[in-house]
Amino acid sequence: MTISVTDLTVRYGEKVVLDDISLDIVHGKWTCLVGPNGAGKTTFLRALLGMAPYSGSIKDRGHEVFKNHKRNVAFVPQSPQIPQGMTVAEYVMLGRSKRDGWGNDSLLSREYVHKVLTQTHLFGMQTNLVSQLSGGEMQRALIARALAQEPELILLDEPTSALDLHHQISVLNNIELLKENGVTIISTMHDLTLAAMFAEEIVVIKNGRILLSGESNFVIHSSELRKAYDDRIDVYTLESGRPVVVAKKKGLI
Amino acid sequence: MMSTEHGAISRIWNWRITAFCALILLAVAIMAVSFGPISINFFKVFKTLFDLPGGSTGQDRTVILELRLPRVILGALVGAALATSGAVYQTVFHNPLADPYLLGAASGAGLGATIALTSTHHDLHAALPIFAFAGGVLAVFTSFVISGKFFADPNSLLLSGIAVGSFATAIQTYLQQQHSAALRPVYSWILGDLTSATWSVVAWSSIYIAIALVILFTVAKQLDGLMLSDEEAYSLGITPKRLRIIAVAAATLATATAVSASGLIGFVGIVVPHLVRGLTHRVTNRSLISIAMAGAAFLVLADLGARTLLSPAELPIGVITAFVGAPFFLVVLRNRRKVMQ
Amino acid sequence: MRRRNIALASAALLGIATLTSATNAIASSPNPTRIISLSPSATEILFGIGAGPQVIAVDDNSDYPSNAPFSKLSSFTPNVEAIAAYHPDLVVLQSSATNAVTVESDLQKLKINVFLEVTPSNISDAYAEFLALGKVTGHPSRAKALVTTMKSQIAEIIAKAKKKSPISFFHELDNTLYSADSSTFIGQIYSDFNLANIADAANAGGYPQLSNEAIIKANPKLIFLDDAPYGESASTVASRPGWSAISAVKSKHVLVLPLDIPDRWGPRIVDFYRFIAAAIAKVN
Repeated sequence: MTISVTDLTVRYGEKVVLDDISLDIVHGKWTCLVGPNGAGKTTFLRALLGMAPYSGSIKDRGHEVFKNHKRNVAFVPQSPQIPQGMTVAEYVMLGRSKRDGWGNDSLLSREYVHKVLTQTHLFGMQTNLVSQLSGGEMQRALIARALAQEPELILLDEPTSALDLHHQISVLNNIELLKENGVTIISTMHDLTLAAMFAEEIVVIKNGRILLSGESNFVIHSSELRKAYDDRIDVYTLESGRPVVVAKKKGLI
Repeated sequence: MMSTEHGAISRIWNWRITAFCALILLAVAIMAVSFGPISINFFKVFKTLFDLPGGSTGQDRTVILELRLPRVILGALVGAALATSGAVYQTVFHNPLADPYLLGAASGAGLGATIALTSTHHDLHAALPIFAFAGGVLAVFTSFVISGKFFADPNSLLLSGIAVGSFATAIQTYLQQQHSAALRPVYSWILGDLTSATWSVVAWSSIYIAIALVILFTVAKQLDGLMLSDEEAYSLGITPKRLRIIAVAAATLATATAVSASGLIGFVGIVVPHLVRGLTHRVTNRSLISIAMAGAAFLVLADLGARTLLSPAELPIGVITAFVGAPFFLVVLRNRRKVMQ
Repeated sequence: MRRRNIALASAALLGIATLTSATNAIASSPNPTRIISLSPSATEILFGIGAGPQVIAVDDNSDYPSNAPFSKLSSFTPNVEAIAAYHPDLVVLQSSATNAVTVESDLQKLKINVFLEVTPSNISDAYAEFLALGKVTGHPSRAKALVTTMKSQIAEIIAKAKKKSPISFFHELDNTLYSADSSTFIGQIYSDFNLANIADAANAGGYPQLSNEAIIKANPKLIFLDDAPYGESASTVASRPGWSAISAVKSKHVLVLPLDIPDRWGPRIVDFYRFIAAAIAKVN
């Protein structure tokens, strides 16, 4: 079972942001989109969400995704709009609107949010204002809300940028929890090492085109990946077999 | 908010709050009808209102039913309209200082009223509400058109609202200078008053305000999604652009009706939503019904003050709402600073 | 400012003028014995035509005659209930009051008769109000007599004072140089004396705001100050830059108008004619 992307092209005015992309994304697995800035990764996420008008086709379980509200897709943005004056509990509760309708305070939802807050270690902060959370706590709140949504697909835009290492790992671990429920995970990431660590599939995008997609280990060691970053990266393998991607130190350009 | 024994978080919104607001509104309304320069025994007022035996007769009865009652009802309608619109605008524009007169509605209505008051045609009084209403609606519509892309971006809509508002105010000032005899009527209209309340005014304004409020109450729960970014809202099942247009249109209808019935009454739209949200520690738009009723009670109370504080003169109601609103802002500011630390 | 507002409020609201001439239908039978006046001019007229004993309350702006029953009722923002609390049988209401139409209909709902007073645009309109009030209060002949007396007194004053060639003048409403041109009530009085109002050049149809330059250029021979309560006087006017060159200032013909007389159209308007006559006499 896959999300089938066929001949996908997305334009903003005259500019072509995604150029004739074809790809199959496997359900239940974690796929990571990598590539330099401006490659079109975020646009791809929006198209998968169903918000961006496109030509070509994106079919999820046989149905086009554009403006298709029947799917339960969680979207975790890079910079969320932070509501003023809202508590963490209220914020996470918003995620229940998909499963439980908007504004319902059912016992089921309240229990679920309780569980999710505990999972993401936010329980003690449930009465804190969202606007007062630190970067790491905000990310956890976003994940918590996504978890509360019980989605079939979760789209994450740079879930670890602006986080310190400790929080990066904990956030990614939280996301992995979703896989236990068969949720499909698609994320964009700058940090290729982390991508290799968590994602099962990696897709390399540059200038709106896919350079390579496949199993993560395979892609990490490929020449297409190096080409995507203009040969400015080095890929090392640790004793444990884990790949580590490092930027090359070059002289002044 | 402590969790219950079942391992669940507590409710986000308690409908007892709504019931409480309804009770307050009822109490305030009865109180407002009971007080005035002519003192009428409270129980007589009550009996007259509910047509029980022993109620007032003659002039007293007319005072209660023809003078005070329509005024109280109009005050409640206008207060509800302004408070609800303000709350909706604050959500849609992510701005806690938004008020229902954003997007040029106030300036447009003021311009309409000025045109009515400075024109050489007769029958000004009957036409003024229509002109004010049309002015307010047209101004908001123009803001939409100027901002382009029909509401793709709340901020660009805000900016075009400022532009439209400034333009309308400039024309209004010019007209006033040319017809300085109309200065006082325009000025007192701008301050707002409920003294023009008659049953016919209550009739038409209640229709439009009711329509607008019903629309807003219906979409209230979904409005919470507009507090997030468009992608997030979309993922939670909302069409943000369409919802924003519906919300702003309904809020504008309510505001324009309120303005054409009672002039520009300020502060209700900003203060009351904050009051309810601050006291309940919730920002969910499920509070909209409570905000409407709180706004109604607030304005009815303010109007009671307008009629009785300087009796027999009438204080402009805008003065009272400003008197309450200004210190209120200081309190809000202080709380924000506390929260920041 | 307040003086200007009073002056402005006294201006004719064209639309309502036509509308309300039809609404003066008053129940004719017994004469009213509990009259409330919400107009300083009407107060003076009522007492002038002998209806004083029937008046039970006058508004907070009325101050003449001194034995009138002053109250806190507002003439500008009338409160229907407060008025009704006096149980009047006739209320004289200015059409320029806030929400006058609603106030009138509310009072009528309470079975209280209303005399809607329209600001007169000239002295004939004022006389018409004298007669109307006379009719409605039961003193038609006294009103008629008062009008006749005033007419002849004024005619005599004008005849003696009027000069063959027009004398230019400036009527100052406030220190931002708002003036009243010949289309206003007060402007018409000046016109009766064949005085030339320099504000007419502005073509504003009411109360234009003039500029220092325009006034200096027009070089009026007479200046009438309506803003003495706000601190203006002949000396403050003379100290304005450029004004010392104006004829009226040089020859010391800058006159402070007596309080309230120019703003009202009661019997004391004759005093205003006398004042103007005296001013003209001083100009050679």
